[in-house]
Amino acid sequence: MRTRVIVMASALLGTVPVAASAADRAVSVTIYNNDLALIQDKRDLQVQGGRQRVEFQDVSARIRPETVSLAASDLSIVEQNFDFDLLTPGKLMEKAVGQEITLVRVNPLNGVETREQAQVLATNGGVVLKIGDHIEVLRDDGLPVRVIFAKVPDNLRAHPTLSVTVNSTRAGTRTATLSYLTPGLGWKADYVALYDEKESKIDVQGWITLTNSTGTTYDNAQTLLVAGAPNQVEGGNQYPQQQFYRPQPRNNLQQAGTESGTRERLGDYYLYPLAERTTIANQQTKQVSFLDVRGVPAEHGYEYRNRWLGTQEKPASARTTYSFSTGSKAGLGDQLPAGILRFYMKDQRGDPQFIGESRIDHTPMGSRLSLDTGDAFDVKVKPTVLKRTRLSTFDWQSDMSYELTNALPRPVVVKLLQDGLIADSRILKESLKSTRRSADVAEWSVTVPANGSTTVTATFETRF
Amino acid sequence: MRRHCWWLGLVVCGVAHAADPVHEVAADPPNDLAVTVYRSPYRSAGSLELDDLEGFALIRETRVIRIPAGETRVRFEGVADGIEPVSAIVSGLPGGLIERNRDAALLSPETLIAATAGKAVTLVRSNRRTGKAERVSGTITASNDGVVFHTADGFEALQCSGFPEDVEFTSTAGLAAAPTLSILVRTAAPLTQEVTLSYLARGFDWAADYSATLSPDGKTLDLGAWVTLGNSNGIGFPSAHTQVVAGKLNRETDEVDPIDLGGPVIARCWPQGKTSDVAILQIARDASERRSAALAAPMALAAKSAGALEEIMVTGSRIQQEQLGDLKLYRVPERTTVASRQSKQVRLLDRQAIPVRILYTAFVSPEETEGQSQIAKVLLRTRNVKESHLGLPLPSGRLSLFEHHGEDSLLVNEAPVRDTAVNEEVEIDAGTSNDVHVVTVAEETNIDEGTAKTISLVPGISLRNVAETGTGRTEISNARSAPIEFELRMRLPDGVRVIRADHRVGTKNGQPIFRLTVPANGTLTVRYQLASFKTELVRP
Repeated sequence: MRTRVIVMASALLGTVPVAASAADRAVSVTIYNNDLALIQDKRDLQVQGGRQRVEFQDVSARIRPETVSLAASDLSIVEQNFDFDLLTPGKLMEKAVGQEITLVRVNPLNGVETREQAQVLATNGGVVLKIGDHIEVLRDDGLPVRVIFAKVPDNLRAHPTLSVTVNSTRAGTRTATLSYLTPGLGWKADYVALYDEKESKIDVQGWITLTNSTGTTYDNAQTLLVAGAPNQVEGGNQYPQQQFYRPQPRNNLQQAGTESGTRERLGDYYLYPLAERTTIANQQTKQVSFLDVRGVPAEHGYEYRNRWLGTQEKPASARTTYSFSTGSKAGLGDQLPAGILRFYMKDQRGDPQFIGESRIDHTPMGSRLSLDTGDAFDVKVKPTVLKRTRLSTFDWQSDMSYELTNALPRPVVVKLLQDGLIADSRILKESLKSTRRSADVAEWSVTVPANGSTTVTATFETRF
Repeated sequence: MRRHCWWLGLVVCGVAHAADPVHEVAADPPNDLAVTVYRSPYRSAGSLELDDLEGFALIRETRVIRIPAGETRVRFEGVADGIEPVSAIVSGLPGGLIERNRDAALLSPETLIAATAGKAVTLVRSNRRTGKAERVSGTITASNDGVVFHTADGFEALQCSGFPEDVEFTSTAGLAAAPTLSILVRTAAPLTQEVTLSYLARGFDWAADYSATLSPDGKTLDLGAWVTLGNSNGIGFPSAHTQVVAGKLNRETDEVDPIDLGGPVIARCWPQGKTSDVAILQIARDASERRSAALAAPMALAAKSAGALEEIMVTGSRIQQEQLGDLKLYRVPERTTVASRQSKQVRLLDRQAIPVRILYTAFVSPEETEGQSQIAKVLLRTRNVKESHLGLPLPSGRLSLFEHHGEDSLLVNEAPVRDTAVNEEVEIDAGTSNDVHVVTVAEETNIDEGTAKTISLVPGISLRNVAETGTGRTEISNARSAPIEFELRMRLPDGVRVIRADHRVGTKNGQPIFRLTVPANGTLTVRYQLASFKTELVRP
């Protein structure tokens, strides 16, 4: 972070402001997952005794000023301001109202330059000047006139600037730490998984992706990433959100892990420090590797979930799934920060091709993940409600059939799920033994022969 | 070495940073390219819109890098504008990759002046009449909404004086001219290495366009298909290995930050109204509107300015198919150029004399209908097997159906095609027929009081279960001069059954179906009896 620090004595004291040395700078950036970062800027600050203003330019343009703290010995903060009044030509002229400016005219014929002083009277629509004893509108005659301002007013800033008025009990140089929270810095993980179909193994690389939209570059920063999203209390009005029924999304995490690993922690968050200092430029996307594991056993499977009384007119594709462990044995052996896992597979020429992606949440070590990458072209399921019979006033019998087809030259196993079995629903009869995953869901593990089909039938007794 | 100089009431000159040891190297342009185009997962079967391609592509570039010992920033210039930087993979590096970056800011007057703020520049002011240029050294103080600069004279605003004023820069401040990905690497010894850069990029899509021609006797079909692939990026891929992938795959990636294509420097000044005119204000406003439009949609702007969008290339080579996991990969056998802002067509398949059955069909809801007439749908049915001269995966797309009319073949219908695996039934929607009308009439409903059961719920209200039977008929009229095959399909509510009919009743997808032949210029009537078990609330 090119934070330029300028210490200005308060106007009351009439002393000359001095610049603090930026030689012994240490910027550290701690980035959380939910668009939040803690910036800590440690530096030597040269101050005089008494009350004075310290200015920090090039802090994040999106700084949360209420979170700023400046810590240094023998220094107390009187007040702090975050100035957003940016220096523009218009503002410069506006602030010059009532003051003297210099006009430079050049004679268009002979190039002779003449200078005169003018007082700015108004800038409403056009600039009205008082030159000597007459009033003139700037460039009313259309001839070129240069306007020169002797100084830029203190409160117009080239960049958003944080100014802190401090009271120092002694003059001299001391180490000061400026820290604040800012949105605009974020990180997430991106994974590249190369699946080897013959060996049923995956290679996984993990990348930490940093993004910076704070409007500021953080030079040579020590960077720490926290896998977690601290609660942030929102300002503004809050309206209750309407809750609508949504089908349960597919659960990627089959089993949550219980292994601890060696990563540093902060409370219950995992920490991912970057090994080296790095420059996080404004508007930059930066990636740093944190995981590279090869040859982890993985299982390629298929899954189809039928909603209650779902009938498909045409066969529907099953989902392709890949499952693997994040444990230390036969797994990735690490905690996985939330992010997107992109799957690749080699084509017949040996070039890796993209085959789909899936989002994961923060995943503890030792978990079992099952990620779906998209629709299987060749493995399809056609569920049909064959018959609905009313058994009594509140009892229904539903005969279902599921035709599973496989156009691949090898047998596949499809995990067939029927959901919606709420209350005391029972399976009266089935052609293949099911397991009840939950009260709601029955699961069949169906083997479909190469270039063939398998039909599963089941009869349900339900209250609806 | 970097020096900061700035002004705030007085000159304070910055502290020099320690010498920067990072070398800057540009990778060679790609010597080999491969492009795999993926269909937009959510696009319907219609045509591609080159201005709005929602699919994506995997780009693979082979490039040579030459790096000295130590830390080097290697720039890969000229990647696709739609690059998803998080998906980039650099392989072939002998270790030592520290980080990789994509800067969203491109070299433009606007970014250049912003990057130069606080640094020394040369101001050139020329006299229109004499042509004499005056060069003054100064610094740019601020470039927010207009540029303020400082010279020995004092502070001035750029291009507010009426003199032609310009800024001369000494460097491009590290801004790249084309979208650039960079990596930071460390090596012990100088190195020349071939590396592979691969990444996903937006702004691509492909479509399968089938055209089917029905033979005059209506018994066979000739099917052909094109793969149309489009690239709306500003970058072309000359002589690339080209593939397309069929199937629907998951996409989770959020919006990609668009690359800031930059804009002109807007030299906004103080109010410049004069006593004589107001027009200049309008000019300033126009300029600001132009600017905000440019900021709102930089990509769209680039699209419009590129012009000549609708160029379509047709190549003669036939595509080859292979399995890729659970997807289908189609490979263009020869290298081809995927040019910028172009769509290209490659032949996907050509199959002749596919046997088809022409079927007329209608869905009826016998309980709800009051005798309205509906027109029948026409289907061409076949199976995706070798015996039918098919037996190959058919990627989803659009099918245009043609029929012979004398010498010509004319368009009959357009219909979507879904991803169809080998051995699946193929039904081609051939539109509707005004010659075949279907009328369904519910004739009579009977309640068998003998079976009625009443359950008291609360005093005064009870539930009554009754068995209900109904009779009805469906008439199918055929104005064609040939008999037709007709499939009459019923939609019955839960618990309603067909218990008797005067034609054979079958089951399809759990609902009754009558497979009928309707005579030429005749009418066929199907009669049926329905039974159900109903529950009603009774308030005596």
